[in-house]
Amino acid sequence: MMCVSIWEEIFEKLQNIPRIHPLLLERAESIQSEHDTISHQLSTGNEFNQELSTKFSNLGIIIDIFNQYKLNLSSLGDLLEIIDEPNQDDEILTEALEEIDDLLPSLTKTIRTLQNRLLPPLKFNDKPTIIELRPGIGGNEASLFTEDLMQMYINFANQQKWKWEMVSKSEGSNGFVNEVILNINEPGSYNSLRFESGVHRVQRIPSTESKGRIHTSTSAVVILPKMSEGNENSLKDDERQFKSGEVRIDTMRAGGKGGQHVNTTDSAVRLVHIPTGIIVMQQDERSQPKNKAKAFSILRSRLAQLEKEKEYNDQRKLRTDQVTTTDRSDKIRTYNYPQNRVTDHRCGFSLHDLQGCMNGTKLGELIDRLEEHEFESRLQDLINSK
Amino acid sequence: MPRVSTKLIREAKKVSPLLPYFLRANASLDQAKRELQWVQSELPENQWIEAAKRRHNHEPLQYILKSQPFGSLDIICEQGVLIPRWETEEWCLKLSSVLSVLGMKNLNILDSCSGTGCIPLLLNYELNQLANLNSRIKGFDLSPTAHKLSNKNLHSYTKMYPSSASNVSFAKADLFSSSLLSNLDVRNVDLVTSNPPYIPPKDYNNSVVLNGISRSVRNFEPSLALIGENEFYEALITNLVLPSKAKGFIFELGYQEQADNVHKLMKTRNWNVGLLKDSASNIRCVIGWKDDSPMSALGQLCTFTYE
Repeated sequence: MMCVSIWEEIFEKLQNIPRIHPLLLERAESIQSEHDTISHQLSTGNEFNQELSTKFSNLGIIIDIFNQYKLNLSSLGDLLEIIDEPNQDDEILTEALEEIDDLLPSLTKTIRTLQNRLLPPLKFNDKPTIIELRPGIGGNEASLFTEDLMQMYINFANQQKWKWEMVSKSEGSNGFVNEVILNINEPGSYNSLRFESGVHRVQRIPSTESKGRIHTSTSAVVILPKMSEGNENSLKDDERQFKSGEVRIDTMRAGGKGGQHVNTTDSAVRLVHIPTGIIVMQQDERSQPKNKAKAFSILRSRLAQLEKEKEYNDQRKLRTDQVTTTDRSDKIRTYNYPQNRVTDHRCGFSLHDLQGCMNGTKLGELIDRLEEHEFESRLQDLINSK
Repeated sequence: MPRVSTKLIREAKKVSPLLPYFLRANASLDQAKRELQWVQSELPENQWIEAAKRRHNHEPLQYILKSQPFGSLDIICEQGVLIPRWETEEWCLKLSSVLSVLGMKNLNILDSCSGTGCIPLLLNYELNQLANLNSRIKGFDLSPTAHKLSNKNLHSYTKMYPSSASNVSFAKADLFSSSLLSNLDVRNVDLVTSNPPYIPPKDYNNSVVLNGISRSVRNFEPSLALIGENEFYEALITNLVLPSKAKGFIFELGYQEQADNVHKLMKTRNWNVGLLKDSASNIRCVIGWKDDSPMSALGQLCTFTYE
């Protein structure tokens, strides 16, 4: 009789372990064979190949975890066999049960890490980031909030010890910000910051409000993968990415004869990408080539983002059930000052520490939640699409 | 020069008490704001008021900040020497990219009327520092002030890029002297570059709307570097291009007639002549090259070639 109850108990415990999808296991096997091929290439090749060896070590990490997973699984199997043996000694039985209890948490952890590693990597997730912020509805209050958001990302970058720089900050004629562009020069920062793309909504009593009413304003955040350095050295390479006639370069020079006749300080550059109609303007630097280089870098990032979104939508179209929308027109997050609350509408998570979020210390927590949420939905996508 | 409206002054005052000073020299509030920002980021705070007052008086910002970016370089600017223009920067970068692709080693380049020395230094940076072509580049100017400043610029270049600095030198010489080449001590030249004065005297006193020059240029930049007509191009050809047996030349200019005149002089000598327009669609350079020489690559720069 005792035997049956033990089996029920074990069965219940095993139920709680996440299942790894067979497709992911298949992928792990294929990584194993790829790893073997690269290892062969590296041992026979004469020259040191940086790219190949980086890939080799990256794959090696996955394989280590995979081996750990296999090891855990086989020891679990051994333990189950011991328990399964008829007329097993009671002492051995309890020991085996204890060992299973020890093993299960580590197995769960290995499975989670493996799943994370095995999902096909997202495009551009190793890139640095360009953050563009623009006020939405709400007039001057929206501009003030845009500056608050800018400060939040700067704080977050400092917190993470990421290097950042202000590419440009422009103000409208009323003296309020109408566009901010920041560079986060940390490779891989795009992977965590990409969740920030979308409309951020603020609910608070603006400093300009005299009757104490709560206003709702918005600010749009665009996160782009940074594709080039944006300096004179990267300019030639950036220009080569486009066919001749694809980009129109306008320099804002006053009319007249130019040359020795006038002595202008206007160094603004405007790029128009003709196939998509994207316009990029840069004017903060005194040097025209520098403005041009920055503009090209931003243009390339915007196009890369467009391409990524297109790819993503094409993949989604294959599925019939559209669960959530990633449309940029939807608000993604609300900052409610009176309630000291930040709610992310995509994963439904509320953080009850607004100050912590704005000074960058708690933003990471929010991003972790989103990462988890995205991971689940991607896994679901992968499973459903096959 | 249109009067600055009181409304604009009021708006500017709201942003900064210094901003109204920048309105006279600038077409828009935005550009004035940017200039103020550059002043504030490049000069110490106790010089801001003086800088604003000088700019109010139409003094070029480049003289106030004492520099002008030129390609990847920062060229030192001082009163008495022409400030490098973006048009010059543009054709200089185009020229150096053609020469880098050509990849010819040990090229001899001579630059006349070099002023601050911006053309030789940028060509040197692009050809020798970046493309490793080991060209030798010499610049000369008549003005002692310009000669001194070009050496100062060379000195600051040497500090930044010591490995390629020895390929450039500057001399003081008169373009109109018949013994120019022996004065300069050069024998073989492959390419002659120049940004000579090209504003005819009749346009020098006109305002910008009448094809003339802006007040800031007239009041602050040296007329020696500005007033000139065909005589400069004729001297460049007879005293430099022909005796040095150069295979190509590129001269900045501002008028179609100047280019036509150069073409008239060269077509009897079997040279090809073409024109380069700048990105504001103004005629900017006349380019010449000999067939069957490596300098025929200069033809790629031309937007128009004479038949």
